[in-house]
Amino acid sequence: MTILLVGLSHKSAPVEVRERLSAGAEALPVVLSHLAAREELQEVMFLSTCNRVEVVALPRSRLDDAALRAIREELARHGGLERDADLAPYLYEKRGDEAVAHTFRVAASLDSMVLGEPQILGQVKTAYDAAVAAGALKGMLGRCISRAFAVAKRVRTETAIAAGTVSIASVAVDLARHIFGDLDHHAVLLLGAGEMAEAAAKSLSKGARAVRICNRSFERAAALAATMHASATPWDQLEQEMLQADVVVASTASRVPVVTQDVVRRVMKARKGRTLFFVDIAVPRNIEPAVHKLDNVFVYNVDDLEQEVARGLKARHGELAAAEAIVAEEVAQFLSWTRGLQVQPTVVALRTRAHAVLFGELERSLGGRLKHLPEGDRAALAQMLESSIGKLLHAPTTRLKARASDGEGDAGELASALRYLFDLAEIAPEPHDRAEPKGEDRGDGGESLPH
Amino acid sequence: MAPLAKSGHLMHIRPRVSPVLADLLFGATALVYFAACCLFVAFLLGRISGVTWAARLVAIGVPLHAAQIVVSSLLLHVCPVQGIHFALSVASLLAAAVYVGVRTRYRIDVVGAFVAPLALTFLLASRLVVVTAQEVPRLRSVVLPFHVAANLLGVALFTLAFAAAVAYLVQERRLKQKRIEGMMQRLPPLDALDRAEHRFLVAGFPMLTIGIITGSLWAHEVEAGGAAEIARAAFSYVSWALFGLVLLLRAAVGWRGRRAAYGTIAGFGFAVLVLLLYLVRSVPAASVALGGGP
Repeated sequence: MTILLVGLSHKSAPVEVRERLSAGAEALPVVLSHLAAREELQEVMFLSTCNRVEVVALPRSRLDDAALRAIREELARHGGLERDADLAPYLYEKRGDEAVAHTFRVAASLDSMVLGEPQILGQVKTAYDAAVAAGALKGMLGRCISRAFAVAKRVRTETAIAAGTVSIASVAVDLARHIFGDLDHHAVLLLGAGEMAEAAAKSLSKGARAVRICNRSFERAAALAATMHASATPWDQLEQEMLQADVVVASTASRVPVVTQDVVRRVMKARKGRTLFFVDIAVPRNIEPAVHKLDNVFVYNVDDLEQEVARGLKARHGELAAAEAIVAEEVAQFLSWTRGLQVQPTVVALRTRAHAVLFGELERSLGGRLKHLPEGDRAALAQMLESSIGKLLHAPTTRLKARASDGEGDAGELASALRYLFDLAEIAPEPHDRAEPKGEDRGDGGESLPH
Repeated sequence: MAPLAKSGHLMHIRPRVSPVLADLLFGATALVYFAACCLFVAFLLGRISGVTWAARLVAIGVPLHAAQIVVSSLLLHVCPVQGIHFALSVASLLAAAVYVGVRTRYRIDVVGAFVAPLALTFLLASRLVVVTAQEVPRLRSVVLPFHVAANLLGVALFTLAFAAAVAYLVQERRLKQKRIEGMMQRLPPLDALDRAEHRFLVAGFPMLTIGIITGSLWAHEVEAGGAAEIARAAFSYVSWALFGLVLLLRAAVGWRGRRAAYGTIAGFGFAVLVLLLYLVRSVPAASVALGGGP
């Protein structure tokens, strides 16, 4: 059983490609339902953020290649592409331990454009909740994602990766300072009132003269403004607001640009050429790219922040190594657990077989020669048999699990031998088709996973 | 010591200042400016992270430079501005002094990377370039001191405006190309450069205007009319018109940023042409004049 991952991110695809595949709150369940409906996939989760679109899945037995193909097809369909080959140059595919490690790294914000930024964990949780609600996470993959949350928590608490982290908002503030110097005398306009806008507003409201929030839903803008030193403004006042603002941070969910070159040209004329700085952190982009060509206007989108982030990455290189070590340790533990899971059906079948044989014999004896035994003695005999089964099977089952967890090559052979010797095939099917652990508790990794 | 224009009636007076003092001041000033230049270069190459010390060295260099000019003048018995090379040294001193005065408030520390080499160059030129100058009596006039003072200050301010405009264009280009790393980190904020350039222009323009008016009056008085004088006057008027246009368009239609920077650089270019005409003319300089003086 191999976890698979197919996706693209800021590292593999430009924003022009990412914005075609990104899915907002409305589109996410639709894409997820299409994926979950694919026969090749047993479990699946769809993650869509500004910087990445990823599908992580557990294929049905021995259908890895078919599952990968199915994911690629669904992504192409979602992106409105006729052929999934069009996406090929931008997609990465990972299997097994690589897929698990990538999932852990993403949740722990080690693969983020802004290393250690906190938003990604919330976005993974949103994707997880959507998949659970759709019934698409019910076994090993669900446990893998749960474990990813625990890994993220470990990384944040055991390393300083997030200490002094530059969020996208703070990178935007830094860029604004390269243009305006101090923001004390400058006004900031936020387009959108979502999670990203909130993060930006918190960073900007500390330094700016004024922060205005403009959103299609005025109530939402007002609600966000009420939580900080900001004020809300109706969406139809957008052009007027741009006359006053110096920094415009756009993060709406619009599929088309909300600020066009013509609008900004009008605005700049009315502003008498005063510099205007757009930070477009939305995917798809909110600001028409041509706006950047206008005099005294600068437009930076999420990709443009990458160099700034890379510099921050260097500064935290030591922390990154520590975080990667945690991820590697967690991946090893998870894989060990999943390998143990491979022999679990054999262990269960062996116990079932022992139970069936011994209790069958007991049943027969109690119906014949031992019919005279009172209830108390019958219960004592059953207890004795239960205990004997436990003791007798303890050594073989624990050794088999240990072999599997260690990744020893002969664990599969031992399991096959047991299945053959004790004729377990009728009781339990092949291990590849089972391997469903109990529970999907998020964050603690479950009782059977070591910490 | 470089021979400079000497007033005939002072020729017989013995110098009361030790030449050694003049040499020491010259050496110390040159050394300090040179050290500042090295630090600015190191900063621009990314070898050091700040320019505080470079700017401080310029601040130390300014009084040394002023003392050097005063001592040299006393030693040679000449007015410091009575020769284009010496006058340029005074102008560069003024530029450095204005830079030191406003660098923190305007956030233009990096402009020192232009000012320090300029001051060093003209300091060296004032001493090393030999110009045999003689005063031409017909060029004496009551407007001359005003003309020279206004033009020197004007040149100093336009030099700073030019440096700010160049830095603006570099920073603006990097921001447009989205090259965040490197030089961009070391240059001042874009708006600070634009604002500083505008303020230097606003301060320098009246000086240039006074220079133009006094230069015209002076030219009228001394009846100057040679080809070089006419060319110089023409370039001065073009320079004045360009600076005036930059200021007018900025106020009227919001011409700022890149367009204003190009206008400033063009205006400064014509001002430099005027200075070059002074430098290359065969008749020795009696003053430095942007404003159409002979």
